[in-house]
Amino acid sequence: MTSPQIEIQLIAVVVAIACAIPGVFLVLRKMALISDAISHSILPGIVIGFFITHDLNSPLLILLAALTGVITVILVEAIQKTGLVKEDTAIGLVFPVLFSIGVILIAKNANDVHLDVDAVLLGELAFAPFDRLIMFGADVGPKSLWVMGVILMSIVLLLIMFYKELKVSTFDVGLSSALGFSPVILHYGLMSISSITVVGAFDAVGAILVVAFMIAPAATAYLLTSDLKKMLWLSIFFGVIAAISGYWLAHLLDASISGSMTTVLGVIFLGTYLFAPNKGYFSVIYRQRQQRIEVSLLAFLLHLNNHTEENERHVKHLNEHINWQKVQSTTVLELAQKNNMILINDDIVSLTEKGKEFTTLALEYIITNKDDKIEHMKDDFFLFRG
Amino acid sequence: MTLSEYFELLFTDYTLGTITLGTAVLGAICGMLGSFAVLRKQSLLGDAISHAALPGIAIAFLITGTKDTNILLLGALISGLIGTFWIRGMTHKTHLKSDTALGLVLSLFFGFGMLLLTFIQKQPNANQAGLDKYLFGQAATLVKSDVTLMIIVTSICLFVILLFWKEFKLLLFDADYTKTLGFNTKFIDILITFFIVLAIVLGLQTVGVILMSAMLLAPAAAARQWTNKLSVMIFLAAIFGAFSGVFGTAISASQNNLSTGPVIVLVAAVFVAFSFVFSPSRGLLFRQIRFLKNRRDLELKKTLQFMYGIAKTHENISHPHAIRILNNFHGFTRKTLQKLEHNGWIEISNQQWSLTNKGFVEAENLYNQLLEND
Repeated sequence: MTSPQIEIQLIAVVVAIACAIPGVFLVLRKMALISDAISHSILPGIVIGFFITHDLNSPLLILLAALTGVITVILVEAIQKTGLVKEDTAIGLVFPVLFSIGVILIAKNANDVHLDVDAVLLGELAFAPFDRLIMFGADVGPKSLWVMGVILMSIVLLLIMFYKELKVSTFDVGLSSALGFSPVILHYGLMSISSITVVGAFDAVGAILVVAFMIAPAATAYLLTSDLKKMLWLSIFFGVIAAISGYWLAHLLDASISGSMTTVLGVIFLGTYLFAPNKGYFSVIYRQRQQRIEVSLLAFLLHLNNHTEENERHVKHLNEHINWQKVQSTTVLELAQKNNMILINDDIVSLTEKGKEFTTLALEYIITNKDDKIEHMKDDFFLFRG
Repeated sequence: MTLSEYFELLFTDYTLGTITLGTAVLGAICGMLGSFAVLRKQSLLGDAISHAALPGIAIAFLITGTKDTNILLLGALISGLIGTFWIRGMTHKTHLKSDTALGLVLSLFFGFGMLLLTFIQKQPNANQAGLDKYLFGQAATLVKSDVTLMIIVTSICLFVILLFWKEFKLLLFDADYTKTLGFNTKFIDILITFFIVLAIVLGLQTVGVILMSAMLLAPAAAARQWTNKLSVMIFLAAIFGAFSGVFGTAISASQNNLSTGPVIVLVAAVFVAFSFVFSPSRGLLFRQIRFLKNRRDLELKKTLQFMYGIAKTHENISHPHAIRILNNFHGFTRKTLQKLEHNGWIEISNQQWSLTNKGFVEAENLYNQLLEND
């Protein structure tokens, strides 16, 4: 590995961590799309900042652009408050307008600005190591590494300082304001941090891909855990993995670094989405199928309990009476038999002692509708699940 | 070129005419379908889908190697639809909320699209130049066949909307009721979503990935302010969209260095801002006026009530009292006094007021809602 390669990966890792932390809170607060809006609407801020400073990495430019991000949030909330349109429409109206203003500002001043809309939106990490920070005559490293490093340090510091406030206000706004933590201050604080992160990261990975680094690791982690601390660690972990392996994928394909990092993030998320235990797609499908069969079983047992006459208990009758498909009837019958809840004699079904006991308890549960879940009862009685 | 020159050229210059017709048709179809998106609270779907279309364009180019607009847009349509269904899957099957799902599809697909685009650029044989016009859109690249395609799609879309009008409307406002009536809600839902995605994909070439969501939303959000009727709203949105397209093209053609997409979006935004402020029933201006009027009316009634309280204690209700005893707390101003006199509720002479019979009856029944109010 050459030294620029190490530096690129270092910058990517720092960006990934700096994005993952606010990202977790944005996802939990259902404000993920605000990051998208901010990432577009900082464009006019960057352009105006660039007119003033003529330096993409100057702190003033970052502050100005971050201010545009906060203005976006305020505008969205103001429009939403009029009640004329819904929140999502407000977001969808505000950021394209600000973005258009940015594009037109660039186009009208094309001669004075060495700034490209593509560069702002897409970024180019490969060039980051060439823009060095010279301090006291000595080369101390790439500028964007320093910028992102400072931002990351502040984020970590703020997170440690305000961890419990953030946690309470994320999950229970009422409680947090009752305890005296102003939700407004926390909200705008988080928004400012997100804006600063987006602005700081845009010339490394590009404004749109910052959104991927914010949302995707957090969403992946959210599928795996319900613990805030674990979620933070997991999303940092996924961000870092994607940053490093994305770099090498880009190296392999000779393609855009930020694009391949996002692709890795996408693959990680897709894998988690499909296979996550408990919350993943397949396990949800499996659980829904299991529940469907078990509910059918219960309905079937109750039916048996209600009828003593033989024609109501004939195996063939089930298809017509309860309106089940043949396959479903077979599955349910087999499940009931496996669990020793029914006996079948000459195609006549009857409840066993255990079946009767379960049915009585289930009936009681249904009538009284007690708070305890029926799952415990299933655990007690079922040897095999649906 | 100035604006007036532009409109003169519009009918003689072939290219300009094509582009203007294209943006107008695009604005109209976006306005029509955008109305559904806004009312279904799917406003940001447009943003997500337009980004999600990017890898489709790249893959279509990789497979076919042509830059034929129709094939590229077909690729965009397919990947847009995949994105849409993934969003639905995520919100239905996991506990991720719709904002996260939209943001994920938007950024992940876009990133993948960028990977493919840069990969294509490095290919030795690629004449890939021009693929990135889909990022920001270039109305100037519209040719006759593109506009024809837009007109065909718009007509199909209009036909389908008219055909399924009742179903769409029902699903929009009461999905549960639609289901109980026996309609196949899933089919209707997919049909309308399909057309929204189609409109988004059509717009990519003209306004680009990033500004597409505004194209879809702005005309509909503006139209929403003027009416509470779906048919009127869709009609208005189509007109607003078409006008934004024409004016946007005109302004950008009459200036140097202005790309069409952002200008169209800004024109549409002006429509929205105007509607927000000046719409008679919902607009901010008239709402404020109504608010002030109601407050003044309330103050007037309060003064009258206060006068009634005093007059009640006298045998002769028209016994004159000094104006001084009225106070601001009850909303008394010179204006309210004039208004009261104008209504014939009080009489004023030398700094003294006296309640008339009419005013007394009015004040007596101020809180009696059973009585007809005039």
